[in-house]
Amino acid sequence: MRSGIVANTRVWVVAGMAMLVPFSLFAQTGERAQLGLQCVSYGAGPMLDCLVELKRKDGSSLDNAQVTLGALMPSMPMAHTIKPVRATSTGKPGQYQGTLALEMPGIWTVDVEVNGPLRDKVGQNLMVNACKGDTRCTAAPAKPGEKSPPHGHGKGHGGS
Amino acid sequence: MNEMVSAHLIGLSSDMAIMSLLALSAYLLLLVGKVSFGQQAFFGLGAYASGVMSAMFHAPLMFALAFGMGVGALCSWLVALPTMSLSGLNYAVATLAFGEMARVALSLWHWQIDLGDGLVGPAAIDGFRDIRWLHENDVSPVQYFAITVFVLVCILILMLRSERTRLGVALRMTGQDETLAATQGIDVGRLRLFIAAVAGALAALGGGLYAHRTTYIEPAIFDPMLGVHAVGYALLGGIGTALGPLVGVLFDLGLLDATHWFSGWRMVIFGGLVALFLRWRPRGFLDERLVHRFGSIFGSKGYS
Repeated sequence: MRSGIVANTRVWVVAGMAMLVPFSLFAQTGERAQLGLQCVSYGAGPMLDCLVELKRKDGSSLDNAQVTLGALMPSMPMAHTIKPVRATSTGKPGQYQGTLALEMPGIWTVDVEVNGPLRDKVGQNLMVNACKGDTRCTAAPAKPGEKSPPHGHGKGHGGS
Repeated sequence: MNEMVSAHLIGLSSDMAIMSLLALSAYLLLLVGKVSFGQQAFFGLGAYASGVMSAMFHAPLMFALAFGMGVGALCSWLVALPTMSLSGLNYAVATLAFGEMARVALSLWHWQIDLGDGLVGPAAIDGFRDIRWLHENDVSPVQYFAITVFVLVCILILMLRSERTRLGVALRMTGQDETLAATQGIDVGRLRLFIAAVAGALAALGGGLYAHRTTYIEPAIFDPMLGVHAVGYALLGGIGTALGPLVGVLFDLGLLDATHWFSGWRMVIFGGLVALFLRWRPRGFLDERLVHRFGSIFGSKGYS
């Protein structure tokens, strides 16, 4: 019985290494984007309206990029899947705008995926609060170690 | 198809494939009669270890993932050494405690190096950003999804084939009656340690794939709910076959969460079903009996 198990172990190890081969087939390229992100929450969901400013390393604005916004909850990875949205240019250099429909208030990581002049993905943790009525609340960067409020009990913390 | 819908489906499917790896790691331990609520720790350790290798040392992804798997396997084996002999409840609590210990340790771990573009590496509770291998190497989400599914399918084939081998029989025998298994010549202790290491490696592989997909990880991701979900997927989908945990993942992430049909009720439905299954189908939907019945219909040998 033991020799059979040991033989199986070898098969597992060899097969495990073999299945990782496809990962070595890509060549390295790339430049990083500098991100500025300002978001406000409003309405039911809440909705999260984000203004994205992208710059290159040399400080010049990053124009003509395809910018996609996504969001995930760090406290519930791979759950609460939010449909990504395309952020459109506001007309100002390097500035894009998009609105995400979130499922609940709390801490969300907003991902900004950039394609076009360069490829990058940068994210920022934001504390998204539920706003009452027609107010718009600033989604401030989440403090280290800060936790989401219990579901559905997020409080507004000031309009913008 | 709308471009954003397509991107959403690719992202969702990638998440389901990655979550399946974590669920399979919990499934392996269930097979040998152990319930672990700490698999999220190995998922996290694998994510950090592979992220360190690819983001800080520019290692190829293959090597980074293999390194993460090695770290996961080693840590899981080391945790199993003193805990595997514990009884069911005590083992579950011990793994939960280790999971929290690992999460707190990761939230204290600060090790960054300057690569010219800025500091890169784990920044304690702020997490680990810029794990940009996919972007630096121009790998599209579709390509990465294909690679993730390829890895999952390879592992599934291995596990399904193993079910009919002496190893597979030894696992189920150990899970159902360890005393009887020992009298049949199975070294139960060593077998469980081996499975703990394999389960740790699988969870770490999932973590490595997750870190490179999202480019950003933080300790809060690896909280006990992730481990509880992994066990829940295996228990709901069934431990009669390695396909069971995938059924659990498909049901929760693919049906309850992604469709939003049960918005707000997802956890109630999922938790309620796990509780019902524990009462009426304690080995899940695809349990040994159902697998045996399918095997009889399709002419292959099922479990007796």
